[in-house]
Amino acid sequence: MSVIELDHITKSYGNHIAVDDLSLQVPKGSIYGFIGPNGSGKTTTIRMIMNILYPDNGLIRIFGREHIGSHLDSIGYLPEERGLYRKMKVKELVSFYGELKNVPKPAREADFWLEKFDLTKWAGKKAETLSKGMSQKLQFIIAIINRPDIIILDEPFSGLDPVNAEIIKEVILDLRQQGATVLFSTHDMAVAEKMCDFIFMIYKGRKILDGTLESIQKKYGQDTILIHSEGGVSVLDGIPGIEKINDFGLMQEIRMNNKADNQQILAAIMARTRVMKFEIASPSLNDIFIRIARPEKTENNEQSSYNSQT
Amino acid sequence: MNKALIIAKREYRAAVRTKGFILALILLPLFMGGGLLVFTLFKDKVDLDDKRIAVIDHSGLFEDYLASAVENRNRNEIFNEKGEQIAPAIFFEFIRPDSSEMNQQKLDLSDRVRKKELHAFIQIGSDIIHPQPGGAQSGIFYFAENAALDNNRSWFSNIINNRIREIRILELGVDQDKVTDLFYWINVEGLGLLNIDTKTGAIIDARKSSELQTILVPYVLLLLMFMMLMMSAIPLLTAVMEEKTERIAEVLLGSVTPEQFMIGKIIGSLGVSLTTSAIYVAGAVFTLSRMNLNELIPYHVIHWFFIYMVLNIIMIGSIMAALGATCNDSKDAQAMQFPAMLPIIIPLFLMMPVILNPLGKMATGCSLFPLWTPMLMLLRQSTSVTIPLWQPIVGLIGVILFTVFCVWAGARIFRSTIILQGKRPKFGTLIRYIAKG
Repeated sequence: MSVIELDHITKSYGNHIAVDDLSLQVPKGSIYGFIGPNGSGKTTTIRMIMNILYPDNGLIRIFGREHIGSHLDSIGYLPEERGLYRKMKVKELVSFYGELKNVPKPAREADFWLEKFDLTKWAGKKAETLSKGMSQKLQFIIAIINRPDIIILDEPFSGLDPVNAEIIKEVILDLRQQGATVLFSTHDMAVAEKMCDFIFMIYKGRKILDGTLESIQKKYGQDTILIHSEGGVSVLDGIPGIEKINDFGLMQEIRMNNKADNQQILAAIMARTRVMKFEIASPSLNDIFIRIARPEKTENNEQSSYNSQT
Repeated sequence: MNKALIIAKREYRAAVRTKGFILALILLPLFMGGGLLVFTLFKDKVDLDDKRIAVIDHSGLFEDYLASAVENRNRNEIFNEKGEQIAPAIFFEFIRPDSSEMNQQKLDLSDRVRKKELHAFIQIGSDIIHPQPGGAQSGIFYFAENAALDNNRSWFSNIINNRIREIRILELGVDQDKVTDLFYWINVEGLGLLNIDTKTGAIIDARKSSELQTILVPYVLLLLMFMMLMMSAIPLLTAVMEEKTERIAEVLLGSVTPEQFMIGKIIGSLGVSLTTSAIYVAGAVFTLSRMNLNELIPYHVIHWFFIYMVLNIIMIGSIMAALGATCNDSKDAQAMQFPAMLPIIIPLFLMMPVILNPLGKMATGCSLFPLWTPMLMLLRQSTSVTIPLWQPIVGLIGVILFTVFCVWAGARIFRSTIILQGKRPKFGTLIRYIAKG
């Protein structure tokens, strides 16, 4: 069952089409990752799901019904750009949003979450005294104070140190375990690969990718080689069949062109240096993202490239 | 609605818990009463320095009379019952007219005024008893540095005219004894209307109506209403703009609808105004009762004050909140604030004409314009005249309808603009938002 359905939605700002004929179905209990370059329409789409912006065309359904703000108590929302009442005390602030979300005992719930995020000693302090990381955690608490059925997070890990990112990740997974559906946008492809059941990529307002990581990678085939050799990147120069090299120093990620034979490439490298590791793999999400969102490519090229893969 | 009330509660608490609120609570009446206080304190503080005034009497008829009149003034008219001096003593210096060098004589006297040797000088024409229209010798002229506002000029004008009329009447052959009666002036005393004591049924005599009472009550009520708007409705523009630019609005919109957000903010502001005005009204009623000045308490309009204030704050508040949502920074808000405030400033300019003629066409028409009704109808109702009953009722219906429209239209603009960044929408775009929703 889909808890969020987007049916051919379009949104324009003047002459600029921010979201173009977008359809999406988010299954219950899943973690859905939104990826896409800056300005591709992720936030606009999320705001339309939240009923903060209204689509020019198309329908949005939450729990199978058109969303008119009546579902707000079942949704937790963390916007991309955070804002807090700076003069309010931390616990008061959490309780206030708890009240707005119809949480039965907001003060008790506030205590619980502040404890969980190690913010108890800041409960009586004003929000303006918090560090950026603590403010982010506070924003996250506000988003999930009502333990919502749907959690929508716009860049939840942005600006967080690894420890705090880990805490938030654990809570997201925990809430999913309890039955929540999570939709979040991210620029961190590693997080999307590891956390998301489904990945959705939007580019210039249009849907480019939508599916599980495996299904997406399958569409691109096994055109990637991970290699660790004594010669490093310098020995890869001029070998036929290599389209692009991504150098990580110790290792290199090679993208082969369509007609290349990986065995011939291996033989060519072995003729030049000693090879410690040679792995044929599917492209990483990061690589797929870059292939699609490379600035020099036009949207039509992207589409044709994607279609040719499928 | 419940969510709007939760927002209202937060807004209210955030406002009344601040030191600024307490400070405003104290400063507001001082500011409001400041003008009246200064006027009361200084209205009797006149210049008591002796005034030397030169008189050039071309008619030659007034020297003795003026000498005697000024002596009488200095002896009897410049002191109150307690013997305190309340007006300056005047001393005349009679100058022989120099007909050949008239202008030079006046120039010399002007220089003496500039040197502060004289306060003023007066020229009395030779034909003053039977003046010819436009005749050079048919006028009386008072020369001073501030002649237009000089009280001594008015005094002189009175006494010289009394004497001129006396001379004219004597020329008609009327007895000197009867002439005094002719000039005995009787003031018409202003009184209010008689009432019936609702408890005893006895007729309550009319009270003497004072200028203070006639102006003070409407003045205070109007200013209180204005201050409440300034304190709660107008700041909504910048408050909403700040919540938008600080991204608080979007976080809130994850929990409430834009309409709940806007209405919550307005109700919160309304709560602040009601608290403040209730404190002031209760304080004023208590103080005036203790001072036995019950006639100054406008019991018959207090309920109207609160009805109009509630509607006015909702009406203006929704306009301000909607405009605040269209602003992207404080510069936008500043540019927007003055035009947005105009509708509530205009009634202040109309205050005196309306108080002086509350039943006039201008006062009636303006008080039925919904944006001004709360202030101007209240002003008219608080004067001592009786306003036809249909007018406050029609005004109230108009305000209610207009308030509903403002909330509806304001919510549509608010909803459409609270997240939008970039260029501030033009007027036409706002109209489109209202129409389209």
